[in-house]
Amino acid sequence: MKKYLLLPLGLLIATMTFANGPFEKAMGESIPAMFGAETPEALQSAINRLSRIADAEPDRWEPAYYAAFGYLRMSTMFDAAAEKDKYLDLGLAALEKTEDILPNDSELETLKGYLQMMKLTVDPATRGPSYSPMVFGAFQKAIALDPQNPRAHFLLGNMQYGTAQFLGGGNQEACASLSKAMELFETQAPSSPIAPSWGHESAKASHQQICVGAE
Amino acid sequence: MKALTLLFCSFFIANAWAQQVISGQVMDKQGSPLLGVNVYLEGTYDGATTDLEGRFSFTSPEQDSLVLIASSVGYRPMTLFLDGATDQLAIHLIETINRLDAVAITTGSFSGSEEGHREILKPLDIVTTAGATADIPGALNTLPGTQAVGESGRLFVRGGDGRETKTFIDGMLVHDEYSPAAPNTPSRSRFSPFMFKGTSFSTGGYSAEYGQALSSALILTSKDVAENDRTDISLMTVGADISTTQSLKNGSLAAKAQYTNLTPYFTLLRQRLDWDQAPEEWNGNFTYRWRTGKTGMLKVFSNLSTSNLALYEPDIANPEVQVPVGVSNDYAYLNTSYRDVINEKWGLRTGASFTRSHDEASRAASSLQRDLTGFHTKMAADYNHSDRLALILGGEVIGTSLRQTLSEGGQLKQSFDEHLAASFVETEWYASSSLAFKAGLRAEYSSLSQQATWSPRLSAAYKTGDHSQVSVAYGQFYQGASRQVQLTMPQAVHEQADHYLANYQWEQEGRTFRIEAYEKRYAGLARYGDILDHNTFQFDGEGHARGIDLFWRDSKTFKNTDYWVSYSFLDTRRRHQDFPGAFAPPFASAHNFSLVTKQFINEIKSQIGWTYSFASPRSYHDPNEQAFMAGRTPWYHDLSFNISYLFNSQVILHAMVNNVLGINNIFGYEYVATPNEEGFYAGRPIMPPARRFIFVGVFITLSKNKSINQLPNL
Repeated sequence: MKKYLLLPLGLLIATMTFANGPFEKAMGESIPAMFGAETPEALQSAINRLSRIADAEPDRWEPAYYAAFGYLRMSTMFDAAAEKDKYLDLGLAALEKTEDILPNDSELETLKGYLQMMKLTVDPATRGPSYSPMVFGAFQKAIALDPQNPRAHFLLGNMQYGTAQFLGGGNQEACASLSKAMELFETQAPSSPIAPSWGHESAKASHQQICVGAE
Repeated sequence: MKALTLLFCSFFIANAWAQQVISGQVMDKQGSPLLGVNVYLEGTYDGATTDLEGRFSFTSPEQDSLVLIASSVGYRPMTLFLDGATDQLAIHLIETINRLDAVAITTGSFSGSEEGHREILKPLDIVTTAGATADIPGALNTLPGTQAVGESGRLFVRGGDGRETKTFIDGMLVHDEYSPAAPNTPSRSRFSPFMFKGTSFSTGGYSAEYGQALSSALILTSKDVAENDRTDISLMTVGADISTTQSLKNGSLAAKAQYTNLTPYFTLLRQRLDWDQAPEEWNGNFTYRWRTGKTGMLKVFSNLSTSNLALYEPDIANPEVQVPVGVSNDYAYLNTSYRDVINEKWGLRTGASFTRSHDEASRAASSLQRDLTGFHTKMAADYNHSDRLALILGGEVIGTSLRQTLSEGGQLKQSFDEHLAASFVETEWYASSSLAFKAGLRAEYSSLSQQATWSPRLSAAYKTGDHSQVSVAYGQFYQGASRQVQLTMPQAVHEQADHYLANYQWEQEGRTFRIEAYEKRYAGLARYGDILDHNTFQFDGEGHARGIDLFWRDSKTFKNTDYWVSYSFLDTRRRHQDFPGAFAPPFASAHNFSLVTKQFINEIKSQIGWTYSFASPRSYHDPNEQAFMAGRTPWYHDLSFNISYLFNSQVILHAMVNNVLGINNIFGYEYVATPNEEGFYAGRPIMPPARRFIFVGVFITLSKNKSINQLPNL
């Protein structure tokens, strides 16, 4: 009898280990560590851990995705253009590894556009002409792949705003994108604890600053 | 049940026992601790990041065959097979050479691309420089090492003649890179700066890959595949153009048609010259880019143009007599290049260019007809042995065929066909990230001069600090004699120049300072009594050019403002052509200065640019004087202005004025060949056709993507 009782219990444990296995556990610690790091040292440490997981789990795109995001955050901690570029290039290189694992993914395309957008801002006058089509292309592709991706709309809005600031023009386009992003952020819950869920607060701030204040 | 509990317990105990500590320190070769290094066991999550002292420590349940990896950006990853002790590990990492941070050999060259940080002149700078009229040589003429030669429009570098500068597009030589112009008016480059993503302007000591240029190489890299469809329309006071770009699945296609006619402009603004047919040009461009794979890129570019002009010029001796002058040109250029990465170590570049140019020029009863056919094929392999050692090797064939007919009463027909074969090899070695060497050798053989030449090129650079470096270079350069000399005497030997350069450069975020000293020695220069009579030819001419170039650029001190200052000092003498001894050639001036400013004013959504240049007197020969080359022109001054106004994101207005102050610049004097009865040679000053040049244009971009406009084009 005990034997039969143990069977479902064993199954339950197995399922729980699967859902909360070493990968999920490690990611569950690394993602907040990456987003929460306040110094380049702490951030590098988080990126290193994500890179280790990425190397050990060649079939998972998430660790490299968050490592790339870590490099993007790292680039904002430095003022020198050369440093910014170094980290953004590392981010793009990390992201490139995910392309074979999960081709044509809306979230990956969004982050790629985000990294390129940060590269553009390093030297907008010079890089604008060549980077802005790439950045817009990436966000538009991300939206085409998943029209419900709030991050793609949010960043597209930011890019539209930045372009209008630089070249002159209104914020109507930017606000339309940001409003769409807000709507999606508010109605969506992440599909899993490690699925990308960032951006809501920043989108709110951008929307507040660009669109609400102006009206 | 007991057994199960026991099993569980023993599992935990075993686990606890198995945890072993892996710790140590990571340092560089010199023993300095490295921060942020990722130290981990291969294939596991177990690892740590080094702290300020380079220390790391972590535990792992793993037992056998532990493979430890230490990796950090800028260093070669280190793999360690752990057996025995796993604590107190001492790991030394070897630095990799990152070409972006490492020392770079900068002697002689001003490079610019969209990506780099060390760039001195970015592509955008060329089109926003006031006075440059969106002409590549026009903008480069504000850099040190160049000479203000206002009546030519070409690049005269460090005491070198305009023909001593050669232009290469995607590695391929361009024959006849300038559009024809009326006498004493500046010619423009045939190639629009909007085509290029990178320019490298070398004023000496350049790579063994480039030959047949005694003074300077202008190396242009065209843009890659366009990502967006767009159509541009430009309406200008001098004409109009329309261009369209279509992005394809694996490439892009672009075409441009341009019509230029200065008749309305000349009607509105009085000119010194009496124009019969103001300069008129039809120009068509076609560009195709194709990504042949993940790394391969094929580029095809072609340019077709036809232009003509006619005017009446007063006779020098009798200014009331008007002499008809006519110039026309038909031009076709095709440039194909292909590059690919074969594997991690090898890259391949190959290409071919083809040029046909037909010129006709006439003055009164005399005329000149010239037909040029040129081709160039080249193949080069890039080999990267490691991050420290790289090699380029390749070969090329340059063919030039020229037919010329001079008519003045009788007819003189001259021609030559030259095949020039060359091979080159160059190696670059980084001893460390602060010390680099480059050594190259170029061998050339000309079918006409039947001369085999070997030219060595050497350079070294040393980083003296985080922001500064010194570099030195030496190089030997050969170039065929001038076209007319080659026509009269096809077997004319090639002229030679040796360059010695030393350079110091300091650069910090937004500010650049550089100083370069050089010495150039010429040998084998053609000398003649009569350029049309080969019996008067000798090839023993020589000369020198030495000087100092200074450059300062600052885009940081003043908000939204970027400026640069160039100063060149030049001391040059040459015994060549029909000079009776060693003299400063008429295009040379001892002091050249330029100040270029650009400012973006947000309130009026406009960019405003100013360029001020001056040059010290140039010499000219007055046949009425006993002494040769004794004449001195006045100082040259020019102040130019431009403004670009962003009407909206798709319409831009652009205006510019050259020589705002209307200064009467005199470039030299010209004299009649034979004196009058009193033995006097009549002469007159060489001056620009109008004091000022004014340009106004509207640039419209039609694109699905509203954020694209022609701003980068202005």
